Amino acid sequence: MVGTAVIGRAALRLALAAALAGTATVAQAAPRIASINVCTDQLLMALADPAQIVGLSPYARDPASSWMAERAKNFRRLSGEAEDVLALHVDAVVAAPFTRRATREMLKRQGVWVVEFPVAQSLDDVRANLRLMGDLAGHPERAAAEIARFEAALARVRNAAAGRRLRVLAVSRRGWVTGRHSLLGALLDAAGLANAADELGIAAGGFQPLEAIVRLKPDLLVVSDDRDLAVDQGQAFVLHPALERLYPSDRRIVIPDRLTVCDGPMLTEALDRLGAALAQLYPLARGRHSAGP
Amino acid sequence: MSHAPARRRTAAVVALALLVVVLALASLGIGPVRLSPLEVATALFGAGDEITQIIVRDIRLPRTVLALAVGGILGMSGAALQGLLRNPLASPSLFGAPQAAALGAVLVIVAGAADVRSWLLPAAAIAMAFVSVFALLAVAGRNAGLLILILAGLAISSLAGALTALAMNLSSNPFASLEVAFWLLGSLEDRSVRHVALALPFIAAGAMVLMSRRSAFRVLTLGEEAAESLGVDVGRLRLLVIMGVALGVGGAVAVTGTIAFIGLVAPHLMRPLVGHDPGRLLGPSALAGAALLTASDIAVRLIPSATNIKVGVLTAIIGVPFFLYLIVRERRALGGGVA
Repeated sequence: MVGTAVIGRAALRLALAAALAGTATVAQAAPRIASINVCTDQLLMALADPAQIVGLSPYARDPASSWMAERAKNFRRLSGEAEDVLALHVDAVVAAPFTRRATREMLKRQGVWVVEFPVAQSLDDVRANLRLMGDLAGHPERAAAEIARFEAALARVRNAAAGRRLRVLAVSRRGWVTGRHSLLGALLDAAGLANAADELGIAAGGFQPLEAIVRLKPDLLVVSDDRDLAVDQGQAFVLHPALERLYPSDRRIVIPDRLTVCDGPMLTEALDRLGAALAQLYPLARGRHSAGP
Repeated sequence: MSHAPARRRTAAVVALALLVVVLALASLGIGPVRLSPLEVATALFGAGDEITQIIVRDIRLPRTVLALAVGGILGMSGAALQGLLRNPLASPSLFGAPQAAALGAVLVIVAGAADVRSWLLPAAAIAMAFVSVFALLAVAGRNAGLLILILAGLAISSLAGALTALAMNLSSNPFASLEVAFWLLGSLEDRSVRHVALALPFIAAGAMVLMSRRSAFRVLTLGEEAAESLGVDVGRLRLLVIMGVALGVGGAVAVTGTIAFIGLVAPHLMRPLVGHDPGRLLGPSALAGAALLTASDIAVRLIPSATNIKVGVLTAIIGVPFFLYLIVRERRALGGGVA
């Protein structure tokens, strides 16, 4: 499974390289690209020149799922369906492999070059997707710079965690617990934190009863929202007095969903927030490591 | 009108009260984390391990209190409506009251403007419950037969259901569909002391309104004209019962979602034990409702399943066959049409 994904991605990069080096139409210095997925939307905005971006999916402007929602307003809002993409005569369309299958098939039948970006579940996936978009947009140096920023943020957050294997649990609505095989899980792991979901036998994610979470008693909770507002019963789970008693706001690390649902430069921001929260929680550890004159 | 001997009635009520206590204790003892009765007892009185205390006092106690209170008010509302309408098939859920209350609560949820733990939720639920029962009695008229009442109730709950679905589609909350679907199934999972504080005052107010009219129900069994000649203001009684039911059911639905059929079943279980006097039926029906809902809520925690079964599903599975049985029993009255 993982093997085929890697081979798939390698083959994709080869095809991409051949295409970029090949025919005159695509080998333009700045191919015009449209995106029909919120994650590829953001990779595209991060790495391509504004003039290269033909349009973005509707969710690019949704502040709940898109970190770059503000910037997305500068670009054309596509319907996410095949029609308007075809009318715009793009060089390539970027998409995710599991969404809008019919649209992707339709575009391919019409001879549009559709590049599918695998769903990132590990940090290697994150780096690979950045490189892929950099190559496609003709700006590999920007991808390299983003990856370097990402690595630097990783090093900072490891330093903030200071090697202490803090047990953390990422809990969201209705008691959904995030496991290690997810972007957020991979970030926690890379930061040197122990994901308490492992103790529950949760690999990707799963629901847990409130009692089980209380009994597990991780050191910190990772949540996506710090407002004391339960707009529905699902959100009220995270604000249950049992959890608030054990995890007041200074035992909760807040990483909004828009920083972790997609891969791209927002993950660097997520790592920085994680690092800042840890530094605030454990000022002594930080003092020991960065003690100046 | 046969009255059970007073001694038998007292014995039945005492036995039922004991059963409710036993079920409440069992409800505190059961959950995903296994705790011994001693641990539960120690934690309940604020001693022992902190985690156990949180599990028992913050998670299980509110759930148990809500099961008792919500079951109780649903049972009492059923008995009150059956008494008011002198009709054994009357119950809040057949009249669309919980569905309408759910619509009120869902409107607040999908608007996304208020916290689900705010007073706005029970207020909206109570208002809609009041409107629905009032509309039902207005449509069906004063001496409506079973058929008219049930058809009008069906119409009202269908309308409430349709409007709920519409509200769900118009919501900006991406989780609205799931949240509303769960809401309509009814559940006591993970409710907290904040939910108890939200629902209990309304449930208590509703219960007090209904209990204060219990002697009037007794007079009403003689017929509305006879009752009026004995000094009962039937119009006012009707309004008070609607208010009591709306307060209780609305307050309950606002925190648990729709839980159906407790109000229908509980009075029927009590009638053979305490007799047919609707005034005497209110208290025992509340006890029976509390026992039924608490037992159902224990059952959903014991039935092994991948995801949690919603307690409203279980009460409907028990309640609907019971309702069908009642229809068979009342077939002659139903066949009579408009009385």
